[in-house]
Amino acid sequence: MSPEKAPLLTVNNLVKRFGGFRALDGLTLSIAPGEVLGLVGPNGSGKTTCINVISGLYPADGGEVLFEGKDISGTKSHHLVHLGINRTFQVPKPFLALTTRENIEVAIAYGNHPQGLTDAQPLLDSLNLTKIADRRAAELNSAQQKMLDLARALATGPRLLLVDELAAGLNPGELEWVGGKLKELARTNMAIIVVEHLMGFIEQVTDRVIVLNAGKEIFEGKLTEAVRVPQVIEVFLGGAHAA
Amino acid sequence: MLSRRLLRDAAFIVVPVIAVMAILPSVYSNHLLLFNFVVFLTLAQGVNILYGFTGYLPFGYVGFFGAGAYGFSIAVLHLKAPPLAALIAAGAAAGALGLLLAPLLRLSGAYFSIANLAASLAVLQIISNPNLEDITRGPYGISLSGVFNPTLAYAMALAILAATLLFVAYLRSSNFGLALQAIRENLFSASMAGIDVVRARMIAWLACALVAGFTGGVFAWYVSVFFPETVFGAEFSIFAIVFALFGGTSTLLGPIVGVVILYGVYNLIGVSAPQYFQLIYGFLIMALVLFLPNGLTSLLQRRGIDVP
Amino acid sequence: MLIYTLFAGILFGLYFSLVGLGLNLVFGVMRIVNLAHGDFLMLGAYLAFWLYTLSEVNPVAVIPLAFVLFVLIGLPLYYILVPRLLAAKDPEMLSIILFFGLSQVIEAVAGIVFGRSERSIPGGELGRALAGFVNLFPGANMESGPVEILGQTFPAAWVVAGIASLLAVLCVYLYLYRTRLGALTRAVMADREEALSTGIDTHRVSAIAFAIGIALAAIGGVFAPFMLGSITPAMGVEATVTSFAVIVIGSLGNPLGTVLGGIIYGVSYMLMQSYLSSWANLLPYLLLIAILLVRPSGLLGRQVRLA
Repeated sequence: MSPEKAPLLTVNNLVKRFGGFRALDGLTLSIAPGEVLGLVGPNGSGKTTCINVISGLYPADGGEVLFEGKDISGTKSHHLVHLGINRTFQVPKPFLALTTRENIEVAIAYGNHPQGLTDAQPLLDSLNLTKIADRRAAELNSAQQKMLDLARALATGPRLLLVDELAAGLNPGELEWVGGKLKELARTNMAIIVVEHLMGFIEQVTDRVIVLNAGKEIFEGKLTEAVRVPQVIEVFLGGAHAA
Repeated sequence: MLSRRLLRDAAFIVVPVIAVMAILPSVYSNHLLLFNFVVFLTLAQGVNILYGFTGYLPFGYVGFFGAGAYGFSIAVLHLKAPPLAALIAAGAAAGALGLLLAPLLRLSGAYFSIANLAASLAVLQIISNPNLEDITRGPYGISLSGVFNPTLAYAMALAILAATLLFVAYLRSSNFGLALQAIRENLFSASMAGIDVVRARMIAWLACALVAGFTGGVFAWYVSVFFPETVFGAEFSIFAIVFALFGGTSTLLGPIVGVVILYGVYNLIGVSAPQYFQLIYGFLIMALVLFLPNGLTSLLQRRGIDVP
Repeated sequence: MLIYTLFAGILFGLYFSLVGLGLNLVFGVMRIVNLAHGDFLMLGAYLAFWLYTLSEVNPVAVIPLAFVLFVLIGLPLYYILVPRLLAAKDPEMLSIILFFGLSQVIEAVAGIVFGRSERSIPGGELGRALAGFVNLFPGANMESGPVEILGQTFPAAWVVAGIASLLAVLCVYLYLYRTRLGALTRAVMADREEALSTGIDTHRVSAIAFAIGIALAAIGGVFAPFMLGSITPAMGVEATVTSFAVIVIGSLGNPLGTVLGGIIYGVSYMLMQSYLSSWANLLPYLLLIAILLVRPSGLLGRQVRLA
């Protein structure tokens, strides 16, 4: 991370337990505006849990989450959206009975977009959803639902975007196109955290990665350097065996 | 764009329905039957507000209706309130019950419906308890002969129906209605669209409670003599739900069509073959769920027609 | 007085477990709410009543007959109603309405066939059955009459209903945990989709569970004239609500949790009857709401609450 910029989000010593299982075990990270950070690690290492805690889906059991220096732990999700945080879901959950356009319109109406966005059309255009704007979300294929989920998040004008496994189910062409979109968003000073299994995609979009194992950070830095760290290699090979 | 839809719904549905129900008493002499039609038109839309837009099925909906009837009666009997002021008390009683039962909204699916049913039965048990005779007259029922005025009560029932229809039309054409449907479809995505899920759900719940409360108040006024079992009868909940589902929820027209057809059939069977009435009705309900689970309007919607 | 109340509460509690058991089995396996559950109980009660009235058949002897008869009714009923229901968008919600319709049909038919007047069976009949059974053992000599336990006398009917209920619960336990079909049933309960994908014939398993659920209600009905008061075609609704209270307290979807729910319900019911009788009718509803809000998964169950 570039030292001259103040971090937008700082996570200190975050702990999240499910029963006796520590999904996050003292995780610390920070991200600056305009930066794309990748979270990688084997299944169950705490990547999605991290996003779920930051976006207010579950309360943390310890540690703090600072957004622009203010503690946001315990803040309700919709308030976080209004503060400028949004996310996509691993399995997108659009509003199936509403049309594509209505899905975006409701997020515009309730999202308090800082630049006062009022029309869904620019978002529909930019994410290739115009042709299916008046179809019900239930009729969309899974790639289209993912784009709609991203559009719903962008409609609220987030400054921090959490992207949970966007790549799964997209073909290589779509993947590269979406990667380009994310980098374009980062150039508008948006901070983006990407959780992803596909290393090619991580390589394409991120400036920096954090490797997680068992809820702890085991590496931070460039992906190209991560693959030379023995501990990281072991975790991934172990993960591959388990899978 | 959206408000044009509201105007269209108001002009082509709300105004004609109110006009027809206002004219009918002068050409048709069974005024009690017409009044009951107005009551069910209103209650079915009340169910529509909650089930059609938030997905919660209020199986004990009659609890609010009964609370309204008793709120009205207690205001008249103990506070000597004039009927119009007592109607406010009816709404207040149902609203208070709604607030008291708001924690039920944390339950999902069938759990909510069952808890709501239990709540309505609990309210009935409390109101009809002989220990509370001084306040509620216990099981012996209420007589309000002093304020009997069916003409004015009918007019007020129409006003409540009009307000309810307009509220549903508003839900169908506003961002708030979209937000409720978003919550129904997915809670997490909805809060990530910036919607305050708890608050929006609460507004719909209270609106649904008030509709039934005011209707219960005006019902008490119109019939003026009734027992606890009359105004807490499960058939009010069941009919309102079945009528709304039969027509098709989340539309304005569906519940209206449902009431006209099913309550019409109900009264026809009731007159011609009362002994088979429950039987035919039961079969009708089963056929509805098995063959038309999304209501009559879904037949049109499947063909791409936008049903108001 | 307290000991009497507690023991009577346990006897009633065992009976209430039987009353709720079938409803819970159906909910656990199919995730649908059989709102006509109490009406099958009512039919079981009429079966016992007519067999007794017409040819003095002892109610205890009606149990196996009721079981077979209602399994045979339940199987086709499942195939007519449930597969279609499960294919709909929101089966759990629609099931409430569908089975309400069924409950209306059953109540109407019962009203036409049996008439609307209240019926009952003399309570001594179960005492005779108990004495007859005990006297099968050599050396035993029991009079048919009230049973003395811990220095208190209880109507024999309560004791017989309690024992029979316990046996019925035991049979369900053995079915679920000691038979192959029971193991498949538990697999469907745990995760229907997963069970389907491993090749389990979920409809067959569900149909049997559905039929057993209805048959259990009917067996509960055989004892209804002694435990719930006189029988009428309209008694089903109250029986359904009671069943709900019992299974929600225990745990929805976990049939064996029903016993815990039944006993808690039975004991609180008897305590209310003894010490606060004018408010006793409120109990099931308040208990139901309180448990749902405080511990929505029931005392033994899984999570059901959203946000």
